[in-house]
Amino acid sequence: MLFDSPAYFLFLIPVVLLYWRLNQRAQNIFLLLASYFFYGWWDWRFLALMIGSTTVDYLIAQKIAPSRADPHRRQWFIFSIVLNFTILGIFKYFDFFAGSFLGALDRLGIHNLPLPLIRIILPPGISFYTFQEVAYIVDVYKGRIEASRSFFDYGLFISLFPHLIAGPIQRPGHLLPQVQKPRTFDADRFFDGLMLIFSGLIRKCVVADNCAVLANAVFGGQFGPSNFWLVLLGTYAFTWQVYGDFSGYSDIARGTAQLLGFHFMVNFRQPFLSNRLQEFWRRWHISLSTWLRDYLYIPLGGSAHGQWKTARNLFITMVLAGLWHGANWTFVIFGAIHGVVLAGERYFFPARSKSTQPDVPPRSAGFLTLWGQRILTFNILGLSLAFFRATSLRAAVQLLAGLSNFAWRSEYASAFFMLCLFSIPLFVVDLLLEASNHEYPFATSPYAVRTALAAAALLMLALFSGSNLNAFVYFQF
Amino acid sequence: MPSSTSSSEPRALFYSKLLVGISALLIVLFEFLSGYLLKHHSETYDRVSHQYAEAVKMQPATPGQPTSVLMVGNSLLLEGVDVNRLKELTSGQMHICPIFLEATGYYDWFYALQRLFREGARPQVVVLGVGVNSFLANSVREDYVPLMLFDMRDSLGVASALKMDRTATSNLLLAHSSAFWDTRTVLRTQILRHAVPHYRELVLLLKPQPSIPPPEQFQTIANSRLERLRELCESHGAKLVILVPPTPSSVDAVRQMTMAAQRARVDTLVPIDPAALSVKYYQSDELHLNPEGAKLFTTALATFLPRSVDHEQAASPN
Repeated sequence: MLFDSPAYFLFLIPVVLLYWRLNQRAQNIFLLLASYFFYGWWDWRFLALMIGSTTVDYLIAQKIAPSRADPHRRQWFIFSIVLNFTILGIFKYFDFFAGSFLGALDRLGIHNLPLPLIRIILPPGISFYTFQEVAYIVDVYKGRIEASRSFFDYGLFISLFPHLIAGPIQRPGHLLPQVQKPRTFDADRFFDGLMLIFSGLIRKCVVADNCAVLANAVFGGQFGPSNFWLVLLGTYAFTWQVYGDFSGYSDIARGTAQLLGFHFMVNFRQPFLSNRLQEFWRRWHISLSTWLRDYLYIPLGGSAHGQWKTARNLFITMVLAGLWHGANWTFVIFGAIHGVVLAGERYFFPARSKSTQPDVPPRSAGFLTLWGQRILTFNILGLSLAFFRATSLRAAVQLLAGLSNFAWRSEYASAFFMLCLFSIPLFVVDLLLEASNHEYPFATSPYAVRTALAAAALLMLALFSGSNLNAFVYFQF
Repeated sequence: MPSSTSSSEPRALFYSKLLVGISALLIVLFEFLSGYLLKHHSETYDRVSHQYAEAVKMQPATPGQPTSVLMVGNSLLLEGVDVNRLKELTSGQMHICPIFLEATGYYDWFYALQRLFREGARPQVVVLGVGVNSFLANSVREDYVPLMLFDMRDSLGVASALKMDRTATSNLLLAHSSAFWDTRTVLRTQILRHAVPHYRELVLLLKPQPSIPPPEQFQTIANSRLERLRELCESHGAKLVILVPPTPSSVDAVRQMTMAAQRARVDTLVPIDPAALSVKYYQSDELHLNPEGAKLFTTALATFLPRSVDHEQAASPN
């Protein structure tokens, strides 16, 4: 069930209405069943996998808390981590690694090795719920949180439908207590939830889907052979598409959670206003970048052992972050580019690197310097996203190879105009949010004004959302 | 509200309800307006609904009457066939009813024909002309078609045939039932046409062109589709003719299509060899025929179609 489909709202409205009429225990059971229905809407067969993996982690967590004097604590912990990543590996990466291995052997002259490719469909959201399960197991093992006694509570923490398919990845310490305690209806937060849903729909259906039309045409080769202008058009269009798409998804997820009395962490904070790639990752997909920082980068040693090891840890973290996005060498290269640039920034601008908080660091640069850095960061991001979007390394290289050709066609002007038409409003919204530090534009305006804005947003949706491209980019991860 | 309500802010609750109410009202308004605009201002709706109504009335010719021919296709026929001239040139031999809708292909017309037959249409000959690419495409047009050419059963059938997920299926069903959902793409296109300079030229580049699969796959796909179409037509007493309109660089595809049709025991009609038609007969999109090309194609069609439409070959009606 996609967040921007009518089916989702036909599901959501009765769920919210019924949910608030139940007591806390019934609410949790009802939400768990609703979440399983939401997940099963794609394919009922994948439910068994998710329920199975939830059950195993629930049972293992009972054995590994520091308070338990279980002699096999450590073994259970390792078993759970290995199991979670094995399941993820089989479903997401087996064919990629097996195919790459066979390809390498083929180049060495070893042909027809009987290594089968399993060609399994990727269960939706497996990367997201696996990371959430791993975070839970690690936190219980380290004694940061108590293991959940109720299966329903733990099951709901993993499968709560607003975050189930594409995050934001929720920390156990943040979401689990909300699941375990009674939720009270807060009308202010409910209204804000509705506004976030409207904001998310505009970002997804108006900005992302219209930019996607342009990006798809460039990356699909419909504009002809690559050149400088097409690289610019394709990468910019895709950069705005993926931002509108995923920040829109996150807004709808957070808005939906608020309708149900939950709070999800902010996932995007005006990332295109970053003046370094380091800052970009503090503003982009924050739930993933902080997860990687806490569960991968810091356990690898973080920045505690000198510049060389810091650079190594950054590179490993970003390559794995790239691979998390998909089983393709294009994602590995995307991650590697970010790893190299981040390591370079650490080396050349060490002072700024000290902040590990997701908060935006204060700026002291002048206006022109700041905007110059922002534009440079945006372009580095855009070029790296060429690998993210391309179907193969060869396609990405072919596109970027056109950078030295400046041949212009009159249709490009219309395409750039269309890109500006849909991306500049979001950019202006980001500037407003940056200045106000709000979660959606005009968040402190009177209710009547915000209601009118939401009605205007619905009108915009009606007029501009019909591009027939409604799959979310991050659903494939 | 619920027992667990602490109701911190009654105004927030009031405006939440107001916002939901306004949204519901706007959706009803959009639906009403879309229906109105569609029925009173859409040339496509007007054309297709009239053509469809005519087609439903088609019956086999009695002795001495011209053969009834239902001709369906996409923009290749809409731009490439001068229907009035064709009717004029073939008036003694055929009674032609066209339904032309842009951007349609095999799936659109298979289910549309199924519905037409179900509603009582009994043409003696069905001529399908969508071009090879569109015939092989695995897609269905998601505006106009669900609303005008499908019923609920067809929408479910096409969703199943295209292996659509439940969200896509529900969107298709909604497009069948809601004028707004069906035509929102059209609405967006109209606005962009006014907002973006030279949008018409741009959109030609933005639309992905379906590619021709490799020969073996081509034959498998085309063969099964042609057989299904033939069986559908024959079971309702109609003969199927596949009309292949010319497109640049379609020479090889036309040859393969002819081979597949022979295997599936379906007549193909290639009134003009694409290789013989130079670029000057095409529009600037290098896909559709211009008026000069259409004149040429219509004349050739009027010459060759009556030969394909052999009354004696038509299967007997049920």
